[in-house]
Amino acid sequence: MVNRKLVKFLSLRYKILAAILIVLAGGLVLLPKYEKHEGISPEQLLSNAISPERYITTDELADRIINQDPSLLLIDVRDENAYKKYSLPSAVNIPLKKILEDDSESYLNQDEFDVILFSNDNFHSDQAWLLCNRIDYKNLYVLKGGINKWFNTIINPKKPTENMASNAFELYSLRKAASMHFGVAYPKKVHKQPVIIKKASVAKTSTAIVPKKIIPKKKKKKMPTEGGC
Amino acid sequence: MGPLIPNELISFEWSSIIAIIIGMFFGFILEASGFSSSRKLAGVFYGYDFAVLKVFFTAAIVSLIGLLYMDYLGYVDMSSLYVHPTYLWGAIIGGGIMGIGFVAGGFCPGTSLSAVAIGKIDAIVNVIGIMVGIFIFSELYPLFEPIYNGYFQGNITLIDSLGVNPYWFVFILTVVAIVMFAVTDMIRKRVKKVFY
Repeated sequence: MVNRKLVKFLSLRYKILAAILIVLAGGLVLLPKYEKHEGISPEQLLSNAISPERYITTDELADRIINQDPSLLLIDVRDENAYKKYSLPSAVNIPLKKILEDDSESYLNQDEFDVILFSNDNFHSDQAWLLCNRIDYKNLYVLKGGINKWFNTIINPKKPTENMASNAFELYSLRKAASMHFGVAYPKKVHKQPVIIKKASVAKTSTAIVPKKIIPKKKKKKMPTEGGC
Repeated sequence: MGPLIPNELISFEWSSIIAIIIGMFFGFILEASGFSSSRKLAGVFYGYDFAVLKVFFTAAIVSLIGLLYMDYLGYVDMSSLYVHPTYLWGAIIGGGIMGIGFVAGGFCPGTSLSAVAIGKIDAIVNVIGIMVGIFIFSELYPLFEPIYNGYFQGNITLIDSLGVNPYWFVFILTVVAIVMFAVTDMIRKRVKKVFY
């Protein structure tokens, strides 16, 4: 009662298995080849690109430069001419076009420094960041607002008007101090000592001219109560 | 998607548990298919049984083809798989010594352990011999160290060192393997049968 067809088929089983293996291996050769996706996955890149985590503010950067943070590596992605005219202190020039060249890899692809990319605005540096982030370089940051913002906030801080909040003044004094560090000189305002004339009518007007002395007092910030464990 | 553990689909802590489970199945199947018999293993060298050669070569080719297909379809990232580092002369000399031990003892390290599990005395002697060998090696390690750590080639594969297209390489390897199976079958038919 042996199924003869089945026996005949099973006698060929090794040949059939061998044929399957060869067909599968041959299929690999014949498969249409496609360019493999390089770097991190598109979803990851997109979520990285949306996240504002990469931005560093000019104040933060100034603070780190002044405190001589050794882990800071500034990279100017503008072209060479702009770099020669002005750049941040101890910045390295890697123009956007050369960002993927072999020479620049040693600067960008490492995990010892915090690399901070900047350009005139953050437009080109964002592009550089995107290119580098895609090939999975670590510790890359972008200076928010770039050199323009740097100028407007650190080098030439805007004096707050009187009706602004107190922390605007604090920020201003911080920025002013920072700008002094970067070599901006503030000529001291020379106040003419009002000549005191012993005339009642003149004295009245002269006292009005004398500027009020402002003694800066640091307001203590109220810390919000934190929950202990 | 894959590999599962480097991509953290399975957490790293599971790796040893998975290894133990796979090892149990591996040992069980080795034993069940008769690989715990030293006669079967020695048969490769005397020409009356080529099961060992066929099994291990088939396993290598099946996994190779499977991995390449999964890599092509994007299920496994081949570049993040572990590649064993190559220490050229260490591997050649060690392979030679293991080959001699293989013929003399009739066991490879894995099958000897599965044979110990079913209580074969020759396998127990074989495992003791392995232990003695390990002891001698450890004691004389300073002597062997230049060979053990030297001639380092990096984590390379045959495809890297030959610089060939992986797909063609696998195809040719498959054809070679199947030709080899056919040839060994012809040899087996000519050699006097051994019953064990």
